[in-house]
Amino acid sequence: MLAFFALISAVLIAVVVIAVRNINRSEVSADWVNHTHAVILEVDAVLASVQAGDGALRTFVMPGDGRDQSAAREAFSAMSEHLEIAKALTRGEPAQHDQILRLETPANQRAELAQRVLAAWQADHAAALRLLVAADANSATMGEIRRAVEKLKADEMALLAQRDTASYLQAQTTRWTVWTGVALDCLLLGGVAWLIRDDILARRRATAVLKEANAQLESKVAARTAELSTANSKLRAENLEHRWAHQAAEHQLRYHQLVFNSLNDLVLVVTKAMNISRVNPAVIHLTGRAPSALIDGPLASIVSLAGAAVAKPDRLAQALREGRELRAQPAWITDASGRQTAVRLTLFPVRDGDKVVGGVIVLELIRPESPALS
Amino acid sequence: MLHTLTSLRVRKLCALALAAALAVGRLDALTLVDLLSDAKMTPKRFAANFEDFEYEYHPEVQPPDVFLSTRRGDCDDYAILADYVLKRKDYGTRLVRVSLVGRVAHDVCYVIQSKAYLDYNNRKYASTLEGSGRRLRAIATEVAASFEANWTSASEYTYDYNTEKKSIGLTVVKTEPPARDPDA
Repeated sequence: MLAFFALISAVLIAVVVIAVRNINRSEVSADWVNHTHAVILEVDAVLASVQAGDGALRTFVMPGDGRDQSAAREAFSAMSEHLEIAKALTRGEPAQHDQILRLETPANQRAELAQRVLAAWQADHAAALRLLVAADANSATMGEIRRAVEKLKADEMALLAQRDTASYLQAQTTRWTVWTGVALDCLLLGGVAWLIRDDILARRRATAVLKEANAQLESKVAARTAELSTANSKLRAENLEHRWAHQAAEHQLRYHQLVFNSLNDLVLVVTKAMNISRVNPAVIHLTGRAPSALIDGPLASIVSLAGAAVAKPDRLAQALREGRELRAQPAWITDASGRQTAVRLTLFPVRDGDKVVGGVIVLELIRPESPALS
Repeated sequence: MLHTLTSLRVRKLCALALAAALAVGRLDALTLVDLLSDAKMTPKRFAANFEDFEYEYHPEVQPPDVFLSTRRGDCDDYAILADYVLKRKDYGTRLVRVSLVGRVAHDVCYVIQSKAYLDYNNRKYASTLEGSGRRLRAIATEVAASFEANWTSASEYTYDYNTEKKSIGLTVVKTEPPARDPDA
């Protein structure tokens, strides 16, 4: 685009420079045409002045009217002026200048004759005057002047035609230069317009693509936002449900804890390996052992089934492994000081699905202590 | 013959008397003596006297008193009179005749000290002097521009009121290179 504008500017500058140069040349050509006209006019004026002077002189000679004398003087004076100017005008053109010089001789002869006639008239030399007029009657000077003027005019007319042609061609060249420049610039401007149109179309296409991409992006963002919003609502609901469930579980736990802790019966939770994992305060109270001394310790260290050592020492563990309940089995619990207390033992296996993972042992105190059990 | 000459002079005097009669009522009519006796004469002061003069073409140059009394004349009457008066007031002057295309040649009087010329066509304007270079080509260019015309040649000339004769001096031709001008 920039190159196009640079080219247009260059063409414009070139056209202006060439046009101005051609106008200057045209002006010079026109000056030469005017110059030729001026030479023709001056030469014509020489002939006219000679004829006017001659006429005035002849008229003056007859009645002697001073106005004719004055007119003759003025005519020959004007002739002299025109000759001088014609000589100056042709001094750069030797052929024409020679012709002017050839014309000058007979023209000056006419002027000298006029001076002689006027002098003779003023001196009242009638005889001399008649002689001069009679001699002039047969003179070929006027014809010579006329022929010289005609010849010069013909030559100048030929020159005028040449110079006019040059001037015309110059004008034609200027016209062609300007029109060619204008046409070239129009073509270049058309090219620039085409490029601009192309550029605008490309920009429009790019804008449309960008708009479409934006619209797609916006719809994607909207869909994603909706999804996120739905997920967020769901999560909030779930979170609320979880909180409620947690609160309910906590409540249940506290409630169970309370129930668990408030039982007078001794409750022990054991693992599948028959290790204590949890006890209620009644166990701590009865055994006099700290929870840390009980937890993770083997159940057998504080609880034993009555007669276990003789019969089947592993009956409790076996029942748990098999997932069987044991109810109101006589048993002993040993406290920290080694004193044994008789209890009735009940075992509830704890299942996770169909798998036994531990058990709950409830020991019911038998009061008063029955020595029969020992 | 002598009688005829005398009658010529009488007729000339009559013409002058007639011209004077035409100017009746103009008690302040300008004369050549007035112009020559004006001690404060300058080119501008000279031009100021011709503001209300009328243009009237004459093929010949009018005698100064006829021109001044009739208040009518053309460019050469004015330029030649300016040249005549200002020369006597120690001004350097040049009488210039500019040949214009398609028009009668125009005469102006260039005043060297003012670097300007006196032009009869410009007599009614406030600034009666036209600035110009001293060379004939510069003067001709200015004169032609005032006519919005082209010029072909410009000649310096002298005029003598007694002999009523113009003598052409230097002539500059437009088509010649300026360096070859006779006054270059």
